[in-house]
Amino acid sequence: MKITWSLRLILALSFLTAANGWCADFHGRSSTQLLSFINDFNNGRQIEVAQYLHFSLTNIDSAGKFNIFGYGRGSQDLNNGEGINGRLYYLYGEYRDLYNIIDTKLGRQFVNLSAGTTIIDGVQMDLKNIGPVGFTVLGGRDVVFGLNGEIGHEGNYALGLAAYLTGFKNTDLDVSWFRKWDAGDVSRDIVGGSFKQFLFKNIKAYANAQYDLTSEVFNQVLAGVKYFPTANLILTGEWYQSYPTFDTTDIFSVFAVNRYQEWVFRGDYTLSDMVAVNAGYSRQVYGDGGAADVYEVGCRLHPIETVSVGLAYDLRNGTDGHLNGGMFDVTWDVTKKLQLASGLTVDAYSRDFFPSSTGNQTAQQYWVGGKYKLAKNMQASLRVQDDINVSRNSNVQGRFVFDYDF
Amino acid sequence: MKRWFMFFMLLALSALYAQQAVAQKQSHKEYASMKISECNDCHKGEGVALNHDADWVRGHRVLASKGEKNCAECHDQAYCLDCHQGGGIDAQLSTNTYRRDYIPKSHRSDWLEIHPIKALDNPQTCTRCHDQKYCSECHAKFKSSSLEFLSHRRQFSDIKLTSVGPNHSMFTTAQCQTCHPGGMLPTHVWSPDHAREARRNLQACQSCHGDGDVCLTCHSARTGLKVNPHPRDWNSIKNNFKDKSSGRTCIRCHDRF
Repeated sequence: MKITWSLRLILALSFLTAANGWCADFHGRSSTQLLSFINDFNNGRQIEVAQYLHFSLTNIDSAGKFNIFGYGRGSQDLNNGEGINGRLYYLYGEYRDLYNIIDTKLGRQFVNLSAGTTIIDGVQMDLKNIGPVGFTVLGGRDVVFGLNGEIGHEGNYALGLAAYLTGFKNTDLDVSWFRKWDAGDVSRDIVGGSFKQFLFKNIKAYANAQYDLTSEVFNQVLAGVKYFPTANLILTGEWYQSYPTFDTTDIFSVFAVNRYQEWVFRGDYTLSDMVAVNAGYSRQVYGDGGAADVYEVGCRLHPIETVSVGLAYDLRNGTDGHLNGGMFDVTWDVTKKLQLASGLTVDAYSRDFFPSSTGNQTAQQYWVGGKYKLAKNMQASLRVQDDINVSRNSNVQGRFVFDYDF
Repeated sequence: MKRWFMFFMLLALSALYAQQAVAQKQSHKEYASMKISECNDCHKGEGVALNHDADWVRGHRVLASKGEKNCAECHDQAYCLDCHQGGGIDAQLSTNTYRRDYIPKSHRSDWLEIHPIKALDNPQTCTRCHDQKYCSECHAKFKSSSLEFLSHRRQFSDIKLTSVGPNHSMFTTAQCQTCHPGGMLPTHVWSPDHAREARRNLQACQSCHGDGDVCLTCHSARTGLKVNPHPRDWNSIKNNFKDKSSGRTCIRCHDRF
C-alpha cells in the first residue's frame, strides 16, 4: 500500500513535469556509502552499502510556484542477512502562493507544530497574507520509523491545526492542536502554544507549553529569558517541567508518574572571531527525592581561519549514577579541496543500576577522517573510529562516502 | 496621583511595545549561504539575539515549532531529519553513526552504555526523535537479565535460604508454595524500589515490558494484589481515557468501566 501510494505520486508528478517538460530545475545529491559496523544484535561485523538520494525539482511551472522535494535512502547488508531496508524521509509536492494566500504541500513530509511533531503521508496547507493571523492545517497517515524501516501501521493517523500571529518582527504567538490516532482510537490529543517577545533591544522572553487533553495536565511547559547586553554575550535562564506521556491506547498511560522539573542557567560569550566560550548549570528534579546537578563548559576556537577546534565537558551527579565526560574535535581545511578532521570523546560514568556493570566505567572513542573534493560536484570522504569501552577493547567502525551533486 | 502615574507608565510601555511589535520581519532567504559569524553584521544593535549559538541543539525546539517559523528560508527538511531520523546526506566528518543511522553529538562515546543515564533527564527528550516502539524494538533484542534496574537486582532469587544455604534461584516458581503456602507473589522478584523508579521514568519500564503484562500481575483489578496504579485525580479524567481509547486500555484490567 505504501509503495503503491508513493509510486502513484511519483508517476503523477512525472506526468505533470513531462507535460510542461521544459525548464524545470532538477538539483540534489546522490550519496553512495559503504558502512562497516558491529551489529550489536548478532555480535558480528556488518558491511552495508547505502544509497541516498536528495533532490529538488523546482520551477516546474512558469511562475515557479510548483516544486517537488524528495529524500530517502536504501541500504543492503552484504554479509549478515539483514537484507534490504530503507527510509523514505520525504517526497512531497509543494504549490506556493495560490491566490497569494495558500501554500500547499502534498505527500510524505515532516510537520512540526507547537502541539506536536511527526512525519505524515498527507497534506499541509498554510493560509497566509489575510491579516495579522495565519493558519495551518495538516493531516495524514502517521509515519513511524524503527531500527529497520517503518513500524507504524495503517491505523496511525495525525491531524493538526494552528493559528499564529504573523508579520510582527519582535513578537511570535501561536496556538495549535495536534491529535493522533492508533487503529481508529485517539492516542494523543494535545493543545500547544508558543510565545516569544523581544524587549528593550536586549531581552528575549519565550515560552512553550503543551496541554494533554486526555490527562488534563500540562505535559510540557517551558519559560525562559535570554538577556544579551551585547550581541556577543547571551545569558539564559529557563524553567521547564514535563510528565511522561503515553498513547491513550497504551496501558502505561493510566499509571501515576512524577513531574520532571529542570532549571537551566547558562552563558554564551563570543570573545572574538577566534574564541567563543559557554558555561551552564542545570538542576534536574525527578520527584520522590531524585535529583541531579549538571555542569557544562565548552569552547570553540579558530586559531587560524582554516582550523576549528571544539571542546565540551559536562559533569552530572545525582540519582542513579554520575557521568563525567566530554569531547574534543579539530577540523582543518588544508586546501580548498581537502579537509582533515579528528577527535575523541571520553566518558567516565557509574550507573546505580544494571548489576553487570556497577562501579566506575570509562568509554572512549577516537576518530579520524578526511574529505576531498574531486570536482566541483563530486567529493569523497572517509571516516574511521575506534571505541574502547566496557563492552569491547576495540571496535573499529567506518564509512566511505562518495557524493555527487547534480 | 498613583493612578495617573500607572496610566502614564502603561501608555509609555504600550507606545514602546507597539513600535517594536509592528516592525516587520525580514526574509532571510538571501542570507542562507552566509556563515553564522557574519550574522552579527546586521544583528548587532538590531536587538535580536542570535539563535544559532552554542545552545542551539537544546534550544531550537521552541523556534522550530512556532507558527511563523522561517527555518525553511535557509534549510530544507533533510536538515531536520538528518538529526531527528538518522539521515546522512550531508554529514560532517565529526558526525558519528550507530549502525546505518547518523546520530547527533548528544549520543556520544559508548551511547549504548550511557543512554540509560541520559534517558533519566527530561522524559520527552528521547521521544522527540524516537517513537516508544523504537525503544521496545531494540530492547527486545537483548537478554532481559542484562538490562536490569536496581529494583530488579535485589531479587528474591538472590536471597539465601539460610546464612549458608542455597539461593532461592535454586528453586522453580512451582516450588514456592511448598515453603510459602498461600504466598501472593508466585514469582517474588520485586522490591519497593520499583514504584519509585516507575514513577520517575515509566518509559524505561515500557521499553522492556511493552505490553505491560508484567505490571498487571499486581496492578490489575481482576487478579493478583490489585494495587491501584492510577494517579490521584483519576476519577476526574478516567472517562477521557475510556472515550478516546474506546475502552481498549480499561478492558485490560477491568470487567466494568
